[in-house]
Amino acid sequence: MKFARLIAASVLAGTLAMPAASYAADKPVVGLVMKSLANEFFKNMLEGAKAHEAKRGDYTLKAVGMQSETDVETQINAIESFITQKVDAIVVAPSDSRALVPPIKRAVDAGITVVNFDVALDDKAKQEAGLKLAFVGPDNREGAKMAGDALAKKLGAGAKVVIIEGNPGADNAAQRKLGFMDSVTAGKLDLLDSRTAHWETEEANTVFSNMLTAHPDIQGVMAANDSMVLGVVKAIEAAGKTGKIEVVGFDNIPAVQPLLKEKKLLATVDQFGQLMAANAIDKALGVVAGGKPLEGWVKTDIKLVTSDDVK
Amino acid sequence: MDTTDLTTAQAGSKTIATTTKTVLREAGIGIALIALIIVFSFTPHFLSSSNVTNILTQVTINLVLSIGMTFVILIGGIDLSVGSVLSFCAVVAGTVMTLPGLDPAVAVFLATISAIVAGIGFGLLNGLISAWWAIPSFIVTLGTLNIARGAALQVTNASTIYSFPAAFNAFGSQTFYGIPLLFLIALVLVAIGWFVLTKTVFGRVLYGIGNNEEAARLAGHNVFFYKVAAFTICGVLVGIGAIIYMARLNIASPIIGIGFELNAIAAVIIGGTSLSGGRGSIVGTLLGACIIGVLANGLILLGLSDFMRQMITGFVIILAVILDKYRERLTKA
Repeated sequence: MKFARLIAASVLAGTLAMPAASYAADKPVVGLVMKSLANEFFKNMLEGAKAHEAKRGDYTLKAVGMQSETDVETQINAIESFITQKVDAIVVAPSDSRALVPPIKRAVDAGITVVNFDVALDDKAKQEAGLKLAFVGPDNREGAKMAGDALAKKLGAGAKVVIIEGNPGADNAAQRKLGFMDSVTAGKLDLLDSRTAHWETEEANTVFSNMLTAHPDIQGVMAANDSMVLGVVKAIEAAGKTGKIEVVGFDNIPAVQPLLKEKKLLATVDQFGQLMAANAIDKALGVVAGGKPLEGWVKTDIKLVTSDDVK
Repeated sequence: MDTTDLTTAQAGSKTIATTTKTVLREAGIGIALIALIIVFSFTPHFLSSSNVTNILTQVTINLVLSIGMTFVILIGGIDLSVGSVLSFCAVVAGTVMTLPGLDPAVAVFLATISAIVAGIGFGLLNGLISAWWAIPSFIVTLGTLNIARGAALQVTNASTIYSFPAAFNAFGSQTFYGIPLLFLIALVLVAIGWFVLTKTVFGRVLYGIGNNEEAARLAGHNVFFYKVAAFTICGVLVGIGAIIYMARLNIASPIIGIGFELNAIAAVIIGGTSLSGGRGSIVGTLLGACIIGVLANGLILLGLSDFMRQMITGFVIILAVILDKYRERLTKA
């Protein structure tokens, strides 16, 4: 393991060292540590960051992505090599809210400005390591509540609803479920069932079809992401209940745009993933330029998207 | 079927004995499926026609993949790449289907062909590499699992392909007397698979290779050819599975199909096919896939939690293999 890490680190260092010589000395260098680039959401985020670098032109971006959602090792290696490279700032979307704390602490100790975005580091782990770090990111719970409230408003009190959850154990899945539950309480909805479909289209289709059999009177569905919305909407079509069951989602991916337009999807939530890394970079550069250090939770924009927003 | 019958059969012609054994074997799995259905039929809605349609829809993709997996497992191999290859076939087909300026019918036809060709490509790759260098297919297909997934991400730049022709979408949810059209297609594939494995020399040789590869070689069979063929057949079915996925869900994405290989392997094993090869049948696989589908559906209708559901599915897989051990003794007696 150690050997593999050494190789990975040296390969990384090698690829990073080469272009470093050509950078202008006065341009700050920002190291961006991303999550899985197999995920469209993060892929877009990275592209947004690259566009941002070209637009601003006053800093140099070095980005590292992971092979999969659970590839924590790559992120740790990336941070360590950024420390060796003496970058000015590191902007990181942690794949694990605890495992990333020690390397981030080392980076902060080395005098690098670190900004944590997308997923917040664990408070207890930060405290134990003596690390004080702000979090820049959206409020998933608030976003889910916005979608849930839209559903509650459309259906009215007493409406029978179900929740399709994301991966059990994932922080954003848990937050989104809490947000949906907030809407259930606030809107006095009747929650019949809540199940995971692991963020997946096919599984959501299967799970929701079966829920609909068990509860033929379902009036509304809250899905924790839009990939699952695709499966839910197909299940509603197959059951011949189009227009009788309202659906809300999360993420505002391109594939749900036609569904919004045809009103098969009532609302989804945009957390401006494409801008998220870019925003975090702006915040980091502000501190590097001598600005005030960030504190607490710097909330980023979220917006409810409905058919009115689709041209 | 009692032992007297069996003894008579054995005393009689060898073919009758084999048939009896097969029937007995299949009957065991069939009884398990019926028992499961009886248990679940006490929950409301389980036997409603719309729920039966649902179960058949949900079984279809796994069934198609399991047919291919049966061929591979029968020769003593395994294919871990089917989920990733399904994703690759789907994004290739999705790309073709959404090409601008194509007539919908032509687009769907070309997409289907391209999915099957992509599946054959990976099947050939799996078969040729594992047969030529005598590498365990477990390792080879672990490699192609990553190659196919990476290729699918590369082709699409990690994005989801959607908005297929309306007719294609409608075709995916078509039913005949409550039976989904897609499931009927899968049944035709089951019938073809059954015919090939039981009624042709080709099929017999596959069983022979699974039983004793060296003996098959000494008998003058081109083992290399048969191995490559088994993996290629699996590839064809993965390609068809990809089209079925797209017809059912109207999307193609590089992150679909994760873990599909494990469901297919589970269906084949529950269906009584031996992981060491040489023993098993397509009919068993059909029943195995149905058991998994009925279980997943019934447990949700019962209102069991997701976590309990996962545990019970695990228990059933193990139980099926243990029962198979007893069935093996019974049929050998």
